[in-house]
Amino acid sequence: MSQNYLKVKGLSKKFGNVVALNNFSLEVARGELVTLLGPSGCGKTTALRLVAGLERQDSGTIFLESRDLTLIPAHHRNMGMVFQAYSLFPNLTVAENVAFGLQMRKVDRSARIKKAHELLDLVGLDSQSARFPHQLSGGQQQRVALARALAFEPEILLLDEPLSALDAQVRSNLREEIRRLQLSLGTTTLFVTHDQEEAMSISDRVGVMNEGRLEQIDTPDDLYNHPKNVFIANFVGLMNQVSGTKTGKSVSVFGANLKVKNEVVTDGRVLVYIRPEFVELECTESDADAKVISRLFLGSVSQVICQLNDGTIVHSLLSSRMSAEFAPGIRVKIRVNEDEVLVSNG
Amino acid sequence: MSKVRSQLSLIVVLMSLGIFFLLPMGAAFEYSIRNGLEGGYSFKNYLWAIREEDFVYYALRSFWLSSLTVVITLMVLVPLLTWIHVTKPRVQGWIDGLSLLPLVIPVVAFAVGAQLALPDVVKNTVLELPFLYFILSLPYAYRALDIGLRAIPLKTLVEAARSSGANWRRTITTVIVPITRTAVLATVALTFALSLGEYTLTVLLHWDTFPTWVTFVAQENLLGAIAISMMTLIIPFLLLAAISLLTPSSKNER
Repeated sequence: MSQNYLKVKGLSKKFGNVVALNNFSLEVARGELVTLLGPSGCGKTTALRLVAGLERQDSGTIFLESRDLTLIPAHHRNMGMVFQAYSLFPNLTVAENVAFGLQMRKVDRSARIKKAHELLDLVGLDSQSARFPHQLSGGQQQRVALARALAFEPEILLLDEPLSALDAQVRSNLREEIRRLQLSLGTTTLFVTHDQEEAMSISDRVGVMNEGRLEQIDTPDDLYNHPKNVFIANFVGLMNQVSGTKTGKSVSVFGANLKVKNEVVTDGRVLVYIRPEFVELECTESDADAKVISRLFLGSVSQVICQLNDGTIVHSLLSSRMSAEFAPGIRVKIRVNEDEVLVSNG
Repeated sequence: MSKVRSQLSLIVVLMSLGIFFLLPMGAAFEYSIRNGLEGGYSFKNYLWAIREEDFVYYALRSFWLSSLTVVITLMVLVPLLTWIHVTKPRVQGWIDGLSLLPLVIPVVAFAVGAQLALPDVVKNTVLELPFLYFILSLPYAYRALDIGLRAIPLKTLVEAARSSGANWRRTITTVIVPITRTAVLATVALTFALSLGEYTLTVLLHWDTFPTWVTFVAQENLLGAIAISMMTLIIPFLLLAAISLLTPSSKNER
């Protein structure tokens, strides 16, 4: 996929003395759904707002294909946006809200009403078209906001944590709906969230941000399985941190020698990062590394939580059938079923 | 028991307020229909007022000057406050303080100073009055509008409108004003009423408007002047009634 539809290069933004965005660059392909994921204050919303034109960058450029958007005001960028807070206009009906963008583009009344009904039908709310926003639930309001953002066929759809105010069930349904709509309409989408599950489940690629920088952007699989650094390894998914000894390009942990992925770490005591699914357990009385303290049944898989002799907690993800024998109190030996690991100075 | 008590308290408060406002008006009305030394009551003072040749001239003059003040107030305050709320929330405190200055600056100093700052086009013409009335009504108009803008998620709504393709002008006219219409109407009513009744500044600048004319005719016929004042009360009342009708109640709120 050629990633040159939206090209953001070297964006920086300060609010007073606080650096919100530091030399941020991103390329998004046409029709792609890219998510910016990161902890609060990492700059992901600032990046989205700069792309939308709702904030002015201190430096950097924004191009949409060959069109330079850097200094174009928000209302001329043709980007639909859904906000975290409910943003429907309370004085307009649901249909009028959806048709608002078309009205601003001077589309004639009959055409915009027809389009509004089409979009409302897509989000399953055509029957509510004559209602006012306060008569809808939070999930319905965000669906209408999505329809409004899509009605004028934006070149990019921008989603600023649109699901965070909703309860778990509605959130799950709506994120699937967003993905379904995005795929069926082929709208290039930039999505901002702090929820990993949301990001990993619907995105073509996920960019992880930290302190105003894009640390890594990759497919959800690559991000999880091949994190480029310790921050991403810790931020994306569950990660065990255990003590090991590094010598040259290998590290010794739980009696095994594993290859070190990142080589900038000095030799000696280090922290080794291992995913729970690569931690295997074996019941033993002698030579045990840890004691099982609890087992969480998650359906087809279970999470077994162990405590090492030095007090460190280690999570192991096993099939529920295999994990049945690891009851609390059982002593276990730990094996790492992974060849290459990330380490950091402990 | 407590419900009955709270209802009683409400009735007492409403009656006290009613007496506070209605008693002076009732007394003024009673005074305006007196026949003077002849005794008895009639509407002859009202008839006298209407037949005065300058009544219509000054009433219309004050009406359009006040209307112009309202237009200036809305054209300046609505975009300015919206812009400040959305883009410069930190300066709200300063603007808040500045808006109170017309209350503390003596009218004489204000009249001379503000007049000097006006554009030449309006300086020394009657058109300077709406600009000066605008400043005088600022403490009230600003607050009425500010309350309305604070009551809505203004930043999100403005950004939603702009990202949907609305420029600032259309955002204000198609989104902000309709949503805050109660606050806008309150601003209109306050500005209009204050401008219509403004006397001190007008006299200092040697202009004649309805209030200065009423003062003049009061020297000739005091009861007639009170009748005129009673008639001019109708306009603010009509405005307040319009606000009540246009303000959605909790039951039929859209």
